[in-house]
Order: sequence, then structure tokens, then C-alpha cells
Amino acid sequence: MDREPSQLPGPRIETLLVGCVASTGVNGAGMSLTSRAGSPEAVYGSDDVAGAVERLQVTLGEGPCIDSVTSGLPVLVDDLEGVRSAVADRWPVFALEARRLGVRALFAFPLRIGAISLGAVDLHRLAPGPLAADELSSALSVMDAVAESLLDVRTGYSGHDGGPTLSTPAIHQAAGRIMVQLGCSIEDALVRLRAAAFAEGVPIHALADAVVAGERRFQEDDR
Amino acid sequence: MNEPGATGRQPAVLSREALLAESFVVLADTLVDDYDVVDLLDRLVHACVDLLGIAEAGLMLVDQRGGLQLMASTSEAAHLMELFQVQSVEGGPCVEASRSGATVSVEDVAADSRWPRFSRAASAVGFSSTHAVPMRLRSETIGALNLFNREGPALSAADQRIARALADVATIGILQQRSLHRTSLLAEQLQSALSTRVVIEQAKGVLAEHGALGMDQAFSRLRDFARRRNLKLGAVAEAVVRRDVSPDEVLATYS
Repeated sequence: MDREPSQLPGPRIETLLVGCVASTGVNGAGMSLTSRAGSPEAVYGSDDVAGAVERLQVTLGEGPCIDSVTSGLPVLVDDLEGVRSAVADRWPVFALEARRLGVRALFAFPLRIGAISLGAVDLHRLAPGPLAADELSSALSVMDAVAESLLDVRTGYSGHDGGPTLSTPAIHQAAGRIMVQLGCSIEDALVRLRAAAFAEGVPIHALADAVVAGERRFQEDDR
Repeated sequence: MNEPGATGRQPAVLSREALLAESFVVLADTLVDDYDVVDLLDRLVHACVDLLGIAEAGLMLVDQRGGLQLMASTSEAAHLMELFQVQSVEGGPCVEASRSGATVSVEDVAADSRWPRFSRAASAVGFSSTHAVPMRLRSETIGALNLFNREGPALSAADQRIARALADVATIGILQQRSLHRTSLLAEQLQSALSTRVVIEQAKGVLAEHGALGMDQAFSRLRDFARRRNLKLGAVAEAVVRRDVSPDEVLATYS
């Protein structure tokens, strides 16, 4: 289940990110993923600037993307110059370099499912200004889909119909139960749940309900 | 009613005014620097039930993706969960209050025709009336508090004002100025709350499996452990899921 470094894991994710650039009216999107060792790696940029924004942050170890991975929260910077002192205090070198690339606004979103931290996506604009409410809404929905797709890459299948699976509490409760049943990480537990639902052709929330109710258990030799 | 100050002793049963004052103090106390939003909302729904004598309360926050997510409820019973699920899909008082920013009252659930599936589900489990109070500050509505009554008359105007006041305290807490930009603040606060809720669900699963508990019990133990140790609920949940704290330690609080 190891990711290849510096390689985008799957065409669906690129489609999602390119679509996100259009729907949020930004100039580019970049993504960094957390390696198993815990350090972020730059894996994608929709253009040269977006790629450079990712590499800069990963190399410097500072920037909105890094903060977003650490805190699990969106970090929305409307204007890298507007709040000069605050931004400079937080990311002194990055702020300077990003402005040199022409980036004026940067919006970082965590790819996170509860305690599972997968990485973060940066959306950048060459002009300052906040994301409008509908753009924010669109970005957040895409991030959910990207996080799910990253799990799918690990599960080894693709092209499922998506849907609001991650907003169902029972799925997360079931993942917690499976984590104990298998003695694995929460991430692997969720991957196993999704893989089992796919393999058995049942909706994931139905399988999750059965796990929560104790009617279905996972064992090491399940596949 | 007790006469406050008539004796130097604490009355055995707090008057409603005293209970109300205490609830505000507890909520305000929760709002110190680095408070946990889910814990705040959990206290809020329980305060509503204690103060208003209603059957159950739940609270949904906007998820900024066009929907609402249940953040806190006085019970995890399936029938209550379903009432929020139905609203997410087909609308209902909580969704309407979040959208309009105004209180929505359903005085007679059985006779109300605005949200047929919601009304059917609510009367099936014996709720007679329900009120949804928006979580609103100025032009921003971030969700709604849903109150359910099992019998007797619907909530009085005075009780609705109390509910509104409690909801306001929580709303101000969530929207309080912590960052330079309003949109970024709101997104951080709401997304943080939603993410915390997911971690809590994961931790409940771990504790339920480990201790052979129901999800309701798993949540109470997690919450009580966090409160006794004066830790953030979300931080404890995350530690459980990451195996930084053993489930035995969390569950031992009760034995």
C-alpha cells in the first residue's frame, strides 16, 4: 500500500482537482500527500506555479499546506501581501517565495477523515481575494471526494459511484471497531471496510451498520 | 420557587433560575481559549433538556457543502438519529431554521404537513411537538438546535427565549474572533467541529469494540474521561484512535 513518491495516485484525482480549479475560479491546484513516515511529499501541480508552491512548502517545511496537514484545518489566506506581518510571521521564507511566483491568495485544505491524515490540497490565485461561499463549498466537496479516492487507490479498485459515504457516522464507528478486531490502523480499517463492501457488492453504510451492531466481524484472513 | 439568599445553604433542588444561571456559567466556562466545540454543543443540548423539561435535543451545524451534520444529541437512540437523517434528506424544522435563520415551531407533529416523512417518524416515536432554534449571529446562521417534546403543550414563548439564549451563547463561542478573516474563521471553526465529530465516531467504535459497549455508552465514557482530566474531547478521541492512550485507561474511569 505504499505510494510511489512524486506521482499522482490515479487519474480520477487529477480529474477532480482540474475540475476544482474551474469550479472555484482559482488559477491552479497542487497536492501533497503524507508518507507513511509522516512527512508530506509534493505529488501534483495543475501547472508550474502550483507544482512550485507544493515543492516550496515541502522543502521549506512551512506554509499553509504544512499547517493544514498538521492542524487538520483549512488555512485560507486571502492575500499574501495584505496581512504582511501576520503571514510573514507564520511563514517568513515561504511568503516571500510565493509572492515571487506571483501567488497572491492561497487556500489550503486538509485531506483528512477523522484521525486519518492523508495530506493537503492548495488552491492558489494570482489575484488577492477570499473564496466566495459557493467556491468554498465546492472546494470542500472536492476534498471529500479526493480523500475517498485516495482510499480507493489503497483499496485497489476505482470507479465506484462515490456518494456521501464519509458523512455517515456508522462508517466511522465501524472503522473504529474493525481497527480493534484486526489490530490495524484506523486508515487500514476504513480501507478494509470499503474493500469488503465493494467485493460483496453491498452499500458501505449497510455493511457499516452490521459491523456497528456486532452482526459482522472482520478477521485477519478475511479478504 | 426557592428564595435565593433566604438561608445560607445551597437548596437541595436548584430553582430553574439557578439552573439557568448555572448553565450559562458552564457554557461560558467552556469557552475559554482552546475549547472543544463538540463538548460545548454536547453541554448545550443537555442544558436544554434539563432546563426546559423536554424529552430530547439535538444540534446540527452547516457543513459548508450544502448540507447539515448532526453534531450533538442527548441520546444516540436510533429513532432520534433517524429524525436528523430524514431531515438531511427531505428537509424538516432544523434544516428550515438553518436556512431561514428563524425559529421553526411544529406545535402538533401529528397534524403538521410540511415535512411528512419527518412528522411520521417523529410521531411514531411519540414526539408531540418540536422546535428548531437557529444558531445565528447577525447575518450568519451556522446551524440549528432541535428540541423535542413528548407530551403536554408545546414550548412556551419564555422557554423558547431560553433556548434561543443558550443557542446564542454557543453560536458566539463558535464565531468568536480568533483570526483575521471572517470567512476563514468560520471555515476553520466549522470544519474543525465536523472533523472532531468524525474522530469521536472513530474513537467510539474503538471503545465500543474494546469494552463490549453500545455507542451511547462509549461516548459517555469518552466524554467523562475528557472532562475529568480536563482534556479536549477531540484530543482524547484522536489519542484513542492513534493508540496514544489505551482504551482500558479511558474505560477504567467508570469501574
